[in-house]
Amino acid sequence: MHELTWGLPVVAYLFMAGLGAGALTTSASVLLRGGPSGKYFDVARYGAFIAPIPVALGSALLVLELGSFQAGHWFRFLNLYKVINLSPMSLGTWLLTAFLMVSVVYAYTFLSRNPLPGDTRDMLRRLSAWVGIPLGIGVAVYTGVLLGALPSRPFWNSPVLAMLFLLSSISTGIAAIILVRALLKRKVQSDTQTHNYNETGFLLSATDTLLIGLELLALFLFVMYAHLTIGNAKAAIAVIMVGGELSTLFWLWVVVIGLLVPALIELALIVPRIVYQKAFYSHRAVDILVPVSVLIGGFMLRYVVVIAGQITYPIGL
Amino acid sequence: MTNNATHLKHGRRDFLKGLGAASAAVVGATTLPGKALATATDRKPRYGMLIDTRKCVGCHACSVSCRSENNVPMGKHRSWVEYIEKGTFPDVSLNFLPRLCNQCSEPQCVSVCPANATHIRDDGIVVIDPDTCIGCKYCIQACPYDARFLNPETGAADKCDFCVDRLAQGMEPACVASCFNKARIFGDLNDPDSGISRMIASNAVSVLRPEMGTKPNVFYIGIDYADEHDIRFQKQYIRVTTHRDGNARR
Repeated sequence: MHELTWGLPVVAYLFMAGLGAGALTTSASVLLRGGPSGKYFDVARYGAFIAPIPVALGSALLVLELGSFQAGHWFRFLNLYKVINLSPMSLGTWLLTAFLMVSVVYAYTFLSRNPLPGDTRDMLRRLSAWVGIPLGIGVAVYTGVLLGALPSRPFWNSPVLAMLFLLSSISTGIAAIILVRALLKRKVQSDTQTHNYNETGFLLSATDTLLIGLELLALFLFVMYAHLTIGNAKAAIAVIMVGGELSTLFWLWVVVIGLLVPALIELALIVPRIVYQKAFYSHRAVDILVPVSVLIGGFMLRYVVVIAGQITYPIGL
Repeated sequence: MTNNATHLKHGRRDFLKGLGAASAAVVGATTLPGKALATATDRKPRYGMLIDTRKCVGCHACSVSCRSENNVPMGKHRSWVEYIEKGTFPDVSLNFLPRLCNQCSEPQCVSVCPANATHIRDDGIVVIDPDTCIGCKYCIQACPYDARFLNPETGAADKCDFCVDRLAQGMEPACVASCFNKARIFGDLNDPDSGISRMIASNAVSVLRPEMGTKPNVFYIGIDYADEHDIRFQKQYIRVTTHRDGNARR
């Protein structure tokens, strides 16, 4: 029997905050990189609408999970806004609040009958995109620092964890955009529309492949950093190594389903375009299944890390 | 050293006489030397505890008196005793390890609090303000000693505070007062003449998990450090009982 101080609400929050932060970072980046022609405007629009929703839901989960809220002091969490200190959670609270505000403003700039690059809200849109990128990265990174700052939790206490969460956040953010795009794809498209759709799909899939590759590297470093040492970190990482309590959850759900499978499929899709200059094409079913797989992996990564950190502890007394 | 201490004692006495609180001086000097010093401006106390595990018999008088003094909710513990059983007959041992908040000088529970709800008092005791605490449980994660818990009644983090209310009345913490074998010594670590300081100076003492860098102010004599990890490496019978919910000892 393990007593978990942080359970599913925190796992879900870490996943959803990362997803929203990744979606906004991606959306704002392609908007600013797309130039005045608005090449990737649709991607930016999807990302902008996705971003605030999971972050707001996740934050709500966090508040509901607070001990003060559950004891009936419903507004005591506002005490968070009376202080700024160097606690990762305090910094995270302010980052998250700023992110939520900016992401709502950013989504609002797309919320007209026919949003176009260069319309009346363009200035505000670009401004909030510029502010949103660092905030998105900040939110994604802080979720890792939050866990990584504690020597009392040797599984979490790794400098690689924040990087891992950042990469996973952006990857899941892109996956959410790919998924929404595929679900909302028009049945009948003109040739130009099809061409644009596929070209944007290539950009998203290629970026996601790169990110998953980097994430695999970060994950490798995270495991090796602990496994090749002795003492607390090695004893803690054993919980996800062969024979550990969480090894199946980690290797099957996080590594295989969440990273390897989607990376290989996306690689197979983008290689013909990169090597042979062939037109990029991806079936709609693939465009749905691959991001779902990435999203499952992103959730399971948070799940395994949060649980593993709490069922392991330093050696000795 | 002796001259210095004598000088300080006189200073304290004069100070209290000046206040016209002679009776308070008697109480302060006999039970808590540090308490009287707290009122003097020249030196602040730093409260600590020394637990002589050789004298502990695992009777749980401390656990029980703590519950009764601090109204600790069922299933939660501010103070508890762990049993460490080792060996096979006739080469056996049974050691006891009374546990409580270590009142660290560098407590990470304080540095991670996002609401500034927990702080170190001037006398070194780490306290929680339950009306400010939002119950995020970050400090519970941060404590390497698993000394904190979420109080379901207040919704705030909770832990041992050396019975600050009793200290304010000039009394010792409940666990110290109830320890029939005097295994617990409480006092001012800043006063070299206090009982605890003299015991620490004249014994081999240790703290729990010093590698965490927390600088605990609860010291032990004669700990058996055997834990669950040792069960895998030492080829002998080891059993650790924590007397808390769940088996994991952190």
